[in-house]
Amino acid sequence: MTKKTKNPEEGAEPTAYPGLTNGDAGASPVTAAGASGSSLDTRGNGDDPLNTLLAGNPSLWRGCDMAGQGNHGLPTGYPQLDNILPGRGWPRNAIVEIISYPWGMGELQLLIPLMREVVKQGHWILWVSPPYLLNSPALSQAGVNPEQVLLVNLDASCRDALWSMEKALQTASCGLVLAWQNWLPAKVVRRLQLAAAAGKTLGILFQHKNSKHSQPSLRLEIKGFYPGKQAPSGPGDHPGYTEITVLKARGNFRPLSVKLNLYQEGLPLLRTEQY
Amino acid sequence: MKEPVEPTLQLPLPGSSPLKKGQVVHLSSAARQPLPANHRGNRGRNGSLEPNDSPEPNNSPEPSNSLERNNSPEPSNNSRQADGPGQASNRKPGKKPDGLWYALYLPGFSRLPEAVCRQRLELLAQLATEVSSGVSFHPCALVLEIRSSLRYFAGIDNLHETLSARILQQLQEWQLPTLFHYAASPTVSGSLLLARGGCNLLVYRRSNLRSALGRLSTDVLDLEREQRRRLHNMGVRRLQDLWRLPAEGLRKRFGSRFVNQLHQALGERPEPQQHYQPPPAFNSSYDLPCEVENTGLLLPVLEEFLAQLVDFLRRRDLSTSRLVISLVHEQQRNTDITLGLRQPSRCRHHLQQLVEIQLHNLVIPAPVVAVRMQVTRFDAYLGTSGKLLAEDDRAVTANATNAGEPDNRTADRHGHYRDDRLDLFLDQLLARIGGQNIRRIGNVAEHCPEYATRQLDSLQAPDRGSQHACPSNPRPLWLLPEPRLLQISNGKLYHHRPVSILSGPERIESRWWSGTDIRRDYYVAREDSGSRLWIFREKTGGRHWYLHGIFA
Repeated sequence: MTKKTKNPEEGAEPTAYPGLTNGDAGASPVTAAGASGSSLDTRGNGDDPLNTLLAGNPSLWRGCDMAGQGNHGLPTGYPQLDNILPGRGWPRNAIVEIISYPWGMGELQLLIPLMREVVKQGHWILWVSPPYLLNSPALSQAGVNPEQVLLVNLDASCRDALWSMEKALQTASCGLVLAWQNWLPAKVVRRLQLAAAAGKTLGILFQHKNSKHSQPSLRLEIKGFYPGKQAPSGPGDHPGYTEITVLKARGNFRPLSVKLNLYQEGLPLLRTEQY
Repeated sequence: MKEPVEPTLQLPLPGSSPLKKGQVVHLSSAARQPLPANHRGNRGRNGSLEPNDSPEPNNSPEPSNSLERNNSPEPSNNSRQADGPGQASNRKPGKKPDGLWYALYLPGFSRLPEAVCRQRLELLAQLATEVSSGVSFHPCALVLEIRSSLRYFAGIDNLHETLSARILQQLQEWQLPTLFHYAASPTVSGSLLLARGGCNLLVYRRSNLRSALGRLSTDVLDLEREQRRRLHNMGVRRLQDLWRLPAEGLRKRFGSRFVNQLHQALGERPEPQQHYQPPPAFNSSYDLPCEVENTGLLLPVLEEFLAQLVDFLRRRDLSTSRLVISLVHEQQRNTDITLGLRQPSRCRHHLQQLVEIQLHNLVIPAPVVAVRMQVTRFDAYLGTSGKLLAEDDRAVTANATNAGEPDNRTADRHGHYRDDRLDLFLDQLLARIGGQNIRRIGNVAEHCPEYATRQLDSLQAPDRGSQHACPSNPRPLWLLPEPRLLQISNGKLYHHRPVSILSGPERIESRWWSGTDIRRDYYVAREDSGSRLWIFREKTGGRHWYLHGIFA
């Protein structure tokens, strides 16, 4: 059950709480209606044991925005994104849904720091039905060891692919599961969510469409792209910003957006071509 | 016709297990006597309690030209036989009955290469185990211990017939010359020498060995060329000439090994043999009481089989990586299910889960009447050892939690434990989805991007060294299987939206030797919707623009 505590006398800054991490994976339902308004803020001192306890537990949140609070998430590698996610990072035992249309908006770039971390710990990454061929030199360039990558092809049937995802999540054999499955019914997503919670594994689902009443505990949408300030086709072009919106997260009551610079500076353009 | 003084003991039949403690043996009143001190006998012999170690062939029918008998001591044999049950007193106490060793020498094998020779000998040894329980290997020869099997085969001739029929058949299959020599004597080396000498001789008593061997020429001995030449020069042509020479002098001139060989042939030195162990095999079958159409009902039977299999593996310190389960139908061919494992295992839970997955996917053409399980491939079992001292374990735990990481996976400390889980998961995945849809990838040091990723089977591991073969220019995470042509209109490139070039070009020219040479200029481009694309322009041919990859 969710508990709400009010501390009207405390101040307003979300500070970093010391890492009190426990692997509690309670899957409590999200309260859709945020009753308490936004005027209540919390400031915790590191010494206050009550605050640390409340901050470290992912199934507990206060009647205010959880954005950027707590430390129970896996760091995303992008500090601005950390600031708007509950737990300052990816949830540990849940399904994250990332919506982007078309593929290639930067959703994998978003995950590269996470993948690096998983591979560094020696776990494997399971890719279920990726839409295109995976390029292993690119993985090596990004710092992800291609030896620890396992692919399930597009040729596998949908049922088999979902079975493999559920099994991988449940048995905690892989560190990370990435799946590209469109049009999954809510029941199936709920099962995957339960499997992730049972096996304490993070699973990421990539979708095209935004279906409003969806089960995953964290849903991001990669909305759009904003070119940089300089002229787009000039030499040494600024890569521009990608806007990422958190559609739904445990503890957040309004969608928060952030603009990230996902790609590093590209190589200079040496010459222009006539088409 | 049986001898009248045949000892009237009711014994367990030869070939059955040796007498166990407490097993009751009925002795007739005439034959009751103190048992010899070593009545349990050796491995490979049955618990034959016959006090009579005189040769069997006196009981068997007349020889049919198959084996000559060294017949000189026959008359004394008969007299010994007539003693009957009182014979035990004639024997020295503590003396074991002499074994009879049957040697098979195959000269045709000497021309074969070593490995093939060994392999063929092993196959022949498998045939020979039907006849004897102790088979040992020698160069181009097999030696069988047949004392214990003589009664079962009712005489050495039948034994010889059986064996030689099989061996001839096998030699004919292999298209080798079907000539082989055989001999039997109370010692291993003696039989070997006799067989090599080409005389198909049966020698029963040790005392006759000397004269029997004496007639052989010294060529049958295992000698180096130099030694052979020296013997020849000395005028020693036959073994009986060797008997006349003093042992000390021979030892000085030809070495101990030579003299020991002679002594072993005469039975004066012990010659321990290492017997052939047939490879382990597990077979079990069960006939169902009624026809079964629902494969789920077969699960209890298979679980029972698996329990037996795990027991078998534990006893022999083995593990397995391949099982074959056959479902027998009445009028159709058996349905075979093969379970292959990535790593050999004997964990019952693991095997059970795999069997369940396989049965789940299975469609049977007809009702099942019997179930069989067969395992033929075994591997040694590699166990994991725990830590000796408890303090080490605690220290490691403390370090892990101090690092601040929640140890969600308790297996992180012991790398091998985590690998077990991954292996189990991979096995299940392979069983469910099939090997062709599960892939691993590896880098290839190749400029052409289509060939720079190697798709591997899930069972193979990519090379370690290929990690370093990655190019310095940015590469996209997604590659299209086929490059897609881009449209040009109004002087702008189009994918779904207008495309603008960000950086480049990177020229890749490669594979001119294979006929499909590529000469391309690669650019990083961006669509208006925000996707980053990897496009190229051909330098040859139509100079079109293509989309090859997407930076996800």
